[in-house]
Amino acid sequence: MHTKSWHSVGPSLDECIKCNICTSYCPVAAVTDLFPGPKYVGPQAQRFREVGQPQTPDHSVDYCSGCRVCNEVCPSGVKIAEINARARAQIVAETGIPLRNRLLGRNETLGKMGSLVPALANFGMHNPLSRVLAEKVMGIAREAPLPHWSSDGTFGDWFKKTKAQRLKSDKKVVYYHGCATMYYEPFIGKAAVAVFEHNGFEVIVPPQNCCGLPMLSNGEFKAAGEYHQNNINKLLVYAQAGLDIVGTSTSCTLTLKEEAPELLDMDGENAQMITKATWDIFEWLRELHDRGELKTDFRDLNMTLPYHAPCQYRAHRVGKPSMDIMSLIPGLDLRESDARCCGIAGTYGYKVEKYQIAMDVGAELFDFVAKQGEDVTMTACDSETCRWQLEHGTELPSRHPIEFLAAAYGLYDLEKRQLI
Amino acid sequence: MADLLIIGAGLSGLMAAYTAAKAGLKVNLAAKGLGSLHWGAGTIDVLGYMPGQMGAPVQRPLEQIQTLVQANPDHPYALLTHTQIAQALAAFVALSKDLGLPYGGAANPGDNLLLPSPAGAARPTYLAPRGQLAGDLSRSEPMLIVGFERMRDFYPELVAENLTKLGYKARAAFLPFSLISKRRDANTVQLAHGLDNKAQWAALDAALRKIIRPGERVGLPAILGMEAHAALLAELERETAAPVFEIPTLPPSVPGVRLFSALRRHLQGMGVRISVGMEVIATETTATNGAPGVVRWVESATSSRPLQLRADNYLLATGGILGGGFDSDVDGRVWETIFDLPLSVPQARADWFHPSFLAPEGHPVFRGGVKVNRQFQPVAEEERPLYANLWASGNLLAHSDAIQERSSEGTAVVTGIAAAQALIA
Repeated sequence: MHTKSWHSVGPSLDECIKCNICTSYCPVAAVTDLFPGPKYVGPQAQRFREVGQPQTPDHSVDYCSGCRVCNEVCPSGVKIAEINARARAQIVAETGIPLRNRLLGRNETLGKMGSLVPALANFGMHNPLSRVLAEKVMGIAREAPLPHWSSDGTFGDWFKKTKAQRLKSDKKVVYYHGCATMYYEPFIGKAAVAVFEHNGFEVIVPPQNCCGLPMLSNGEFKAAGEYHQNNINKLLVYAQAGLDIVGTSTSCTLTLKEEAPELLDMDGENAQMITKATWDIFEWLRELHDRGELKTDFRDLNMTLPYHAPCQYRAHRVGKPSMDIMSLIPGLDLRESDARCCGIAGTYGYKVEKYQIAMDVGAELFDFVAKQGEDVTMTACDSETCRWQLEHGTELPSRHPIEFLAAAYGLYDLEKRQLI
Repeated sequence: MADLLIIGAGLSGLMAAYTAAKAGLKVNLAAKGLGSLHWGAGTIDVLGYMPGQMGAPVQRPLEQIQTLVQANPDHPYALLTHTQIAQALAAFVALSKDLGLPYGGAANPGDNLLLPSPAGAARPTYLAPRGQLAGDLSRSEPMLIVGFERMRDFYPELVAENLTKLGYKARAAFLPFSLISKRRDANTVQLAHGLDNKAQWAALDAALRKIIRPGERVGLPAILGMEAHAALLAELERETAAPVFEIPTLPPSVPGVRLFSALRRHLQGMGVRISVGMEVIATETTATNGAPGVVRWVESATSSRPLQLRADNYLLATGGILGGGFDSDVDGRVWETIFDLPLSVPQARADWFHPSFLAPEGHPVFRGGVKVNRQFQPVAEEERPLYANLWASGNLLAHSDAIQERSSEGTAVVTGIAAAQALIA
């Protein structure tokens, strides 16, 4: 099943010196006995995972949330989270996948279906009775912060509808919106388009698929591979033309760049080209700023803003570009969170057996927000599921950093989440 | 752009960051992973043994350093005066108070402490956190070493028995694991976080009171709280009316993690940007004939294209062979991992090790490292720096065997501070 990239992910376990730094910082092992920690489940158990072995050594690997804090702190470069993801995929390949996880992996399909009649879909998914049913029948935690379908059309609808108003320019950028912006939070995409255009870029929104991350994290590697191949097919022409592919969902951009190719051994020339062309939006804006080309005609945003760089963002290993750029906004008192993870980790915290673990993991972040004082009215985070979890855990609205940037340009209403 | 980019998040890099940020420099720090503080005992070992004299611990380390550098004029300590070394250590002690994690030394100023190791050996060190000081073996109170049933990696009977063999008065006792944790299993860092919960303290106080005999001091594994460590220590001493000390455990080392966390928070408060998980994989330098070159930028690996990290000055604090500052292959090649700087290391693999594993003179390969001039700038043969804007500090430096000398943290602190001072000057 895995051939080439065992040379990267697999053998990296030989670098493990058993120092236990990963286990000491693992946010999941800190709150539950069900996950014994990255060192045991990753590099140690891996030595016993042989293809065709009658029994896998343990199922606790399913309690790895995939946050990658272990990779971040490891002094030896062991790819622990990827070892775990592959082990989970091996279990799924051998024993099948529960209906719930199959469903949670299909974010794009769910998004499309719900968007047909969003009011009905929202009622169907968010009334207390159906949440109890979803928990009993499916195992989706009744309290979990599931998103709401956009009630005023998808991002794609809006982009088509406003085609005549969109900026034409020699400078072009390709926007990868991902499923959450498409179906749940089109206002994130609108804010991004406004920021691109304010800086003189024409925005191209090509057809695109789900990045495949929800499937990767639920162990459905084959289907995730099909998604990634589809994205390569659809985006390659832009990469070949030398255009940057920029996304607002930091977990999608991470998947396009690294997670899908690495976990799935898709390291052909075309996949590498997509890796090199893809940017997270603030990574891209920081580059623009470094070249002196980012407009800084900001108005004051007088507020105290706790900012959490999500674990998916930190896994890009590009520092904290959202901090770098937001700190240019006058009047914005940014408070940087040191919390390891909000707990939700994509679809992890939606699962009934993991909901409380996710809330306990997130407590560190919720406490940090609470400590920033009474006048905090919002939080900021680059990842959609993390924002929903942050709102669930703090009862404060949470926004994407691009919304603050668009607001600082005077283009966006932070309260109403719409363009001005 | 930053004034200084430090590579490495160990003690040396952190102390250099502190020194530079305090002087007003804009400092960024990038590291591949978390540093070696997590592996150590959280103490500052300055000089525990003179090379070749493993039988007798050094009593007065700052004085003995003078003898050490006379015999070994290339030693990193030889780059500094006695006063500079003393001032750097005093700066660390002052900082530790600001961190809320005060360090101290032996009752007789200038002496090494002798602290019990988790194997019950007597371990010389110069500075230790407040929570370890009552373990000093120069004190006369008999010791009660308390462990917890089922707790991995801490065996009170082993500690007490070996201390007794060395002539110290010590006995062992066990308490139930349920006093410190409801977990089935947990490592030391998790146990320490768990003990931040004050609800557990009263039961622990009561259980200890029952087993302590009058006049005894109490040694516990180093798990006594993370954020609430000082408060827990004070409570235990008050409630048991006995001196209480921690004995560092196998890694992960809670006293080391406490020091790292406190330093990181303090530095971030000073405006230092610390990025972990960033491995430097390439450098861009210019070379000039006859004059030092210039480091233009370094590149770290990301999920896609390499990221350029730029600063006016660069400080290498990447550690020794364990920390990742240099690497080797089976053919005997040894190289410095970032700039491929010249290393002083025996070139033939056969010469790396002494034939006897426990040879008193140590193994030649451990003395390997980067040679620097008195300004802590890496040099080749002469004193001329290789790069005008590159400095190095810590266990990356050549000509000391920190493992044998027990000088790892001392070297890290004093050279980290001194390198930062040199580049500011």
